[in-house]
Amino acid sequence: MNNSHRRIPAWLTDYLGMAGALGLLLLIFGLSTENFFSAATFGTIANQIPDTTIMAVGMTWVLIIAGIDLSVGSVMALSGAVLGVALARFGIPLPVAVVACLLVGLLCGLASGLIVVAWSLPSFIVTLGMMEIARGATYLVTQSRTLYVSDRLEMITDTTLLGLSAPFLLAVLIVLVAQFVLSMTVFGRHMVAVGTNETAARLSGIAVRRVRLAVFAVSGLLCGVAALINTARYQANPNNGIGMELQVIAAVVIGGTSLMGGRGSVVSTFFGVLIIKVLGTGLAQTGAQEPTKRLVTGCVIIAAVVLDYYRRRLRKTGTEAAQ
Amino acid sequence: MFANRSRLNKYPLLPFFVAALLLTVIASGCTKRGSQDGKPRIALVMKSLANEFFKTMEEGARGHHAEHKDLYNLKVVGIRNEEDVAQQVDLIETIIAQGTDAIVIAPADSEALIPVCKKAMAAGIVVINIDNKLDRARLEREGIQIPFVGPDNRKGAKLAGDYLAAKLKAGDEVAIIEGVPNAFNGIQRKAGFQDAIAAAGLNLVSSQSGNWETAKAAECVSAIATEYPGLKAVLCANDSMALGAVDALKTAGRTDTVYIVGFDNIEAVQKLVKNGKVLCTVDQHGDQLAVYGIEYALDILNTKAAPADKETPVDLVTAETLK
Amino acid sequence: MIGSAGAILSVRRICKTFGPVRVLHDVDFDLNAGAVHALVGENGAGKTTLARIIAGTHRDDGGGMTLNGQSYRPAGRTDAQRRGVRMVMQELNLFPTLTVAENIFLEDLPRRFGVINYRLLHRRAEELMAAIGLRDLAVDEPVGNLTVGSRQMVEIAAGLSQDCRLLILDEPTASLTDRETCLLFDQIRRLRARGVAMLYISHRMQEIKQIADTVTVLRDGRIISTHAIDTLTVEEIVNRMVGREISHAPAARTAAKGRVALRVENLCAGPRVQNISFDLHKGEVLGLAGLIGAGRTETVRAIFGADRLTSGRIYLGETAKHVRIRSPRDAIAHGIALIPEDRKEQGLFLPLGVDRNIAVPNLSRLSCAGIISPAAERTLARRHIDTGAIKCAAPDQPAETLSGGNQQKVVIAKWLARDCDVLIFDEPTRGIDVGAKFEIYAMMADLAARGKALIVVSSDLRELMAICDRIAVLSDGCLAATFSRNAFSEQTINAAAFSRHTATFRTQGAAG
Ligand SMILES: Nc1ncnc2c1ncn2[C@@H]1O[C@H](COP(=O)(O)OP(=O)(O)OP(=O)(O)O)[C@@H](O)[C@H]1O
Ligand SMILES: [Mg+2]
Repeated sequence: MNNSHRRIPAWLTDYLGMAGALGLLLLIFGLSTENFFSAATFGTIANQIPDTTIMAVGMTWVLIIAGIDLSVGSVMALSGAVLGVALARFGIPLPVAVVACLLVGLLCGLASGLIVVAWSLPSFIVTLGMMEIARGATYLVTQSRTLYVSDRLEMITDTTLLGLSAPFLLAVLIVLVAQFVLSMTVFGRHMVAVGTNETAARLSGIAVRRVRLAVFAVSGLLCGVAALINTARYQANPNNGIGMELQVIAAVVIGGTSLMGGRGSVVSTFFGVLIIKVLGTGLAQTGAQEPTKRLVTGCVIIAAVVLDYYRRRLRKTGTEAAQ
Repeated sequence: MFANRSRLNKYPLLPFFVAALLLTVIASGCTKRGSQDGKPRIALVMKSLANEFFKTMEEGARGHHAEHKDLYNLKVVGIRNEEDVAQQVDLIETIIAQGTDAIVIAPADSEALIPVCKKAMAAGIVVINIDNKLDRARLEREGIQIPFVGPDNRKGAKLAGDYLAAKLKAGDEVAIIEGVPNAFNGIQRKAGFQDAIAAAGLNLVSSQSGNWETAKAAECVSAIATEYPGLKAVLCANDSMALGAVDALKTAGRTDTVYIVGFDNIEAVQKLVKNGKVLCTVDQHGDQLAVYGIEYALDILNTKAAPADKETPVDLVTAETLK
Repeated sequence: MIGSAGAILSVRRICKTFGPVRVLHDVDFDLNAGAVHALVGENGAGKTTLARIIAGTHRDDGGGMTLNGQSYRPAGRTDAQRRGVRMVMQELNLFPTLTVAENIFLEDLPRRFGVINYRLLHRRAEELMAAIGLRDLAVDEPVGNLTVGSRQMVEIAAGLSQDCRLLILDEPTASLTDRETCLLFDQIRRLRARGVAMLYISHRMQEIKQIADTVTVLRDGRIISTHAIDTLTVEEIVNRMVGREISHAPAARTAAKGRVALRVENLCAGPRVQNISFDLHKGEVLGLAGLIGAGRTETVRAIFGADRLTSGRIYLGETAKHVRIRSPRDAIAHGIALIPEDRKEQGLFLPLGVDRNIAVPNLSRLSCAGIISPAAERTLARRHIDTGAIKCAAPDQPAETLSGGNQQKVVIAKWLARDCDVLIFDEPTRGIDVGAKFEIYAMMADLAARGKALIVVSSDLRELMAICDRIAVLSDGCLAATFSRNAFSEQTINAAAFSRHTATFRTQGAAG
């Protein structure tokens, strides 16, 4: 049979499908609002995706090793809180505060990961615990008050290159690096192996626990990175990122990453984030009310995963039998 | 382990009986305890203690109690999420069981809490409503009277709206960012903004929910600003959302042409009011809200007076008043 | 034979394609009531596919079937079962967290007021397990705790638990020892006497001669011929399967014993590994024999670090260096490889391609600074697909879509690609066809000739006797005896295998 005939469309259809769905959304909103197709819209979207994207990258990895990280929203809030308190209350120099912020994220991720591997616990419940712990800690650190820090973090939001903001470029860079690691490196292959069949991975000599731990640590660290951007824009608000874990997971799953582990792509996750954010912005531009927004968002999420199911079925060489 | 299994298999209901037994034992341990020192006991039932606004309210109450330790005993409880009605109902039932003289409650829902309040009153407890006003019609139907002690949110919002209107001219485009759709005070604030808008003949182009959240508000404001290039002002139902509006307009480069109005007078916004990024906000003296309720409860306990609603002050905060 | 009068199931011009690959071409054949019909063919010939079409888990793409004269096209497994057609799967399909009894009677759990009647369930399960000779297996044990052999017995028991008119057995004996096979055959004869039609798929020719009435040979998705079993010799069957003559006397082993490669001293790990000690020399092939549950798999897993040792020491290499092996990773670092018995659960990454499966333990060799070279990965996969004769449409074909035997070849290839000094094979030829088996034997002989040390666990005693220099016999977790090549005899090895099992077990085993 003709391999080249089969192989090239395989990865291309992955992205084309997503891009098609995205195009459809853009078209609908373009037709139903006056100013959707404007530089301003795309500027806003480019501004709104970096923190979600960066967290979604970590989540993609976590889902690939058949885990889940529910703590991302809270960990981001905690990192941001530490950043905010360091800057606004103690007046600590910016570089030190940034390092502290990243460290907090990393430590939270490491803690979740350690507990998951040490007792072989389901990450769902461990990170659910971490979600509560980090949120509680956030309230303690901020004393439940919003701290205004934008003035100290202007260099994050205001730096631009070729008209694109630094956070956006950073997010894209992280997406590309994470995709490269996933598909081209030994570590990436180990992640896929662990997510596909943990027993076989262990018997193949993969340090399953180390891979797990590393992935959770990376997820935590990326929450810290996202916190820099999020805080620079929205201040150190103890309620930041509530419910964000679900938005992040939705974006990742829309991107075709399996909740069962072993299958996923960071680039597709990026498209997933785009779809969610375009949807949010588009709906807000149409002036839709909250109930409508939620209804439509829910439908789009489900439609996206149903589409993904058919795309995968088409790609499979064989049709699995009716059970 | 496996020996146990087979027993469980034979008696599948065994664990349920054991659990039920345990619960009964625990429950019977929680008997009513009377007041030891004869001072009236007041229970302050808050919404989310994580929210800055309620945190301020709680601290005000504790401060008041610290100064008047000889007058009453105070117990403060709060729920996890602002909208977790069930948890608040449970809390009140526990308080009734443990015994108290008065309950000062900031209800999570303006109707759902009424039955349990009625139960408290039937147990001889004085109930005072603060913050979120209980539904009048429903109270009447239940045949009870619970006094509301608090500010008129609608009036406060109208104050801010009027202040804004003075800077605009009739026909100017403005937008409202609402709180969560079912919150009474959010609805009141929106109504107050609308009163002012109607009075000044402004053009309300969009009114959307920002869910009290910074990020969500930023998303809405970005979209609205893009869709309506002539937008002149955004009225936000709380200050967290005003922070989101500040960010959105900054990234859209419209800081100088669009006014922002907030509500609550949180610390982070005061700075922005001073430097003109936020036009004005409204102070409903959050730190005193619970205190007013407590004082009124003590009043009723001492004088046995017939309960009646009591309005507390709201003030406009602008760059001038902050000087 | 075609269109014979007593046919209970007639298959006519059945076709099946998977994507671009045609797996069955116009297959015609009949199954008769009260007869055992063997289906043989090389790995990937399409046996399982055909069986699954009959059992309703695959849909055909053309052709038709009749069952008892009525048209038959099952919509799914349950539909087929309703019509009296059942199948014991080649790939194990049990629920690991449910108990043995629950798995067996899953479709028809005895209930009282909607609550499962465990007393009745366990009694029925015990009866059934006793009938197929698994008296010592606790029926309330979760299936996940069992070895592959026991699981296969449970799978068979589940197939026998309900009445049916047509029973398909897809390589039921692949990891059974002679004793269990005998008991299974008793059951098959009983069913045959009751008029049940059976389709029996196996790569073990002796068994087919023993139990089948008719044999059909399938090659590359086409029916080659159908014969009464007595009219063909084993050689003739095999030649028809392969389409050419094969030599199948394994190269006689010339044991040139080298130095010690692996020394195991007083190894203990759980109840099934007690005080095992032996030496393994370079260039030697050591067989591990024993009944199901004797602790063969547990022993090799303990050596490989897959299970925790409770005590004992392992020494490696010419200097007999004491090594601590805490995980498979350590074992691999010390040059030990284990080809596990359960390919689906322990060997393969089912959704991943053949190439990626082969690459997994070899990534350090295929990469530079942690970055994988796709070209090196492809080359490695190609080489092993060729040398291992793995039948796949493309190197990236997902392992889950390979035939059972080809999946097994992938697991072997994955470890051969890594140059280990001590190779442990746990049931290496499980599900492998006759021709490929001899290639694997030759490959093992070659490895030994190159100075590697091999341990082979197999439930097929004749296989062990053909390829090993020594055979160590385990019995109830202990090392009962070790035989060197000149002392091999089925009788003495079997006697050693039974030596330490309980009295009831022994009498029963002797009866089997
Ligand atoms: N879902 C699928 N997608 C693609 N190809 C498949 C699929 N299932 C089976 N095949 C192919 O069909 C062919 C026949 O497979 P089948 O399992 O029927 O072989 P078999 O005769 O049972 O072999 P074995 O003796 O190894 O069990 C194989 O080449 C296999 O790769
Ligand atoms: Mg097969």
